[in-house]
Amino acid sequence: MEVSKEKELKRPLIEWTPIYSMWLREIIRFFGQRSRVIGAIIQPFLFLGLMAIPMSRLMPPEAEGLMEQMFGGLNFFSYLVPGMVGVGLLFSGIMGGVSVLWDKEFGFLKEVMVAPVRRVSLMVGRSLGNMTVGICQALLTVGVACLFGIWYEFGIASAPGFLQAFVFMILTYAVFIGLGLTMGGVFGDTEGFMTIVQVMQMPLLFLSGAFVPIDRLAGVPVLYQLQFINPLTYGIDGIRASLTGAEPFFPIWVDFAVVIGFAILFLALGTWRFERMEVS
Amino acid sequence: MKVIAVANLTKKFGDFTAVDRISFDVNEGEIFGLLGPNGAGKSTTIKMLTTLLYPTSGSARVCGYDVVRERDLVRRCIGVVFQDPSSDRNLTGRQNLDFHARMYNMSRLEREERIEEVLELLELKGKENIKLKDLPEGLRRRFEVARGFMTRARVVFLDEPTIGFDIRARMDLWEKIRQAKSHEGSTVILTTHYIEEADYLCDRVAIVDKAKIVAIGTPSELKEAVGTDIISLEVAGGSADGLVPQIKAIPWVKSVEVFGESLLLSVESGDGRVPALIDFLDEKGYPVATIEERKPSLEDVFLHFTGRTIREAEGGDNGKELRRARIRRR
Repeated sequence: MEVSKEKELKRPLIEWTPIYSMWLREIIRFFGQRSRVIGAIIQPFLFLGLMAIPMSRLMPPEAEGLMEQMFGGLNFFSYLVPGMVGVGLLFSGIMGGVSVLWDKEFGFLKEVMVAPVRRVSLMVGRSLGNMTVGICQALLTVGVACLFGIWYEFGIASAPGFLQAFVFMILTYAVFIGLGLTMGGVFGDTEGFMTIVQVMQMPLLFLSGAFVPIDRLAGVPVLYQLQFINPLTYGIDGIRASLTGAEPFFPIWVDFAVVIGFAILFLALGTWRFERMEVS
Repeated sequence: MKVIAVANLTKKFGDFTAVDRISFDVNEGEIFGLLGPNGAGKSTTIKMLTTLLYPTSGSARVCGYDVVRERDLVRRCIGVVFQDPSSDRNLTGRQNLDFHARMYNMSRLEREERIEEVLELLELKGKENIKLKDLPEGLRRRFEVARGFMTRARVVFLDEPTIGFDIRARMDLWEKIRQAKSHEGSTVILTTHYIEEADYLCDRVAIVDKAKIVAIGTPSELKEAVGTDIISLEVAGGSADGLVPQIKAIPWVKSVEVFGESLLLSVESGDGRVPALIDFLDEKGYPVATIEERKPSLEDVFLHFTGRTIREAEGGDNGKELRRARIRRR
């Protein structure tokens, strides 16, 4: 009898108000913490200015032709820009997952857990909030790259290409926030979680084609293969091809399918963990 | 009318039984207290009633809804103030209240009106636009209480509302809780390990010890149940140790404890105990210097039902020592 009452209670499939509230809270929180805002603005400059520019000077000018062949018709700087965008998405996405844990540790989670709202809605709203920040940062990275591109020959290939890159950014971010949430649900405490995150970020970062083209590792056992199970590889490949108009390593639909697949998998796992969480 | 009905509620964590077959009812409009030492199972009980933990066995209904099968309906009728702070410190008080109200689907107009109301009610006007992390502990807590009342909850849960406060801040919050409760007509259920809090605030109290409820009643009912009054006295010119066996021999004296110069007697309730005692001691050549008779406190009630004081039950400190200090202060 009680069960039927629960069923009678109609809830919309998508609870807009709670989702919006969680989103809004994340945005307000972000702008309320000046250090986070400043950090988010400076990071693209650091990535591009301190990493991409010096690295692009690695090879002597005579080797330019060889390099363009190596980087699919791009100069090294242009090759690195999408990589930097992808790396930014990796970092901020996983941090998005950590912040759920922080909520848990600071007790805020309890408050929303007793609200008459689906937990999925809470998670979706909060993820969208973090995503908004992460994507804005990625767009800022592209903008800064265009600025530096005046001297280092980087430019956006086309408007549709840019929109396509935008879609890839969102999907890539979704993959990593899903991963962050999943791990956040699995590991109870922040310290343990941070250790795991640091250990995981390294291979994700360096075996993604962000710095070194995927086929340059051909013949290196294990490392070469690992690149193919790294979702970031496909995300960056998709962003790079869309943004610069260069030939992608994988067919673009493969990039698209793989990134969507990973995003769904991790988000589903994260939601599942979150639903089951008892708050003590 | 019963707002909360709990029957044989049990929660086990592995082999550890945190809550052991407790049963109680809470009436509409009353302030009901769960009084007991830390670790007695009060918070675990609250977490089950607020749908955060699943009971191992037994049942509980809040506002007529089952806390397991009708979680959403329960959540809709309750407000909760947790033991640990659960607000977003990086947001202002108003933002926290507003966020909370959105989660309950209150419209913008309703939210604004209601925020004004609860700010007024808990005297938080003028503080609502300050980030919580910049406010003193007491005010932060008051915002959480405001949040508990925000959605016009029929039942408001307060888990150790004044833990860690000094006595002034505590009394201040008690006043606010009372005001809010009577203004809103809500039912309040609170947990505490402060005797005075239960005594001052609660209409009825359940004494919880070692995962079980040992007694339930109004504070005065509980005190009467003890069946004894307490007399403390000092005799002129020093120690009365030698007299203890003789005093114990008086039929209506239940027990005698010696604390330095003073004696603490537990006597059967009745008239004329003090004069009788003065005469008795005079006869023996020990004129009484000071003597005081009082009704038992909830602390004595706790002692009566569990055989120890709350502080002893919480372990850590030397309970005996504290008891002595407590008696000295009187």
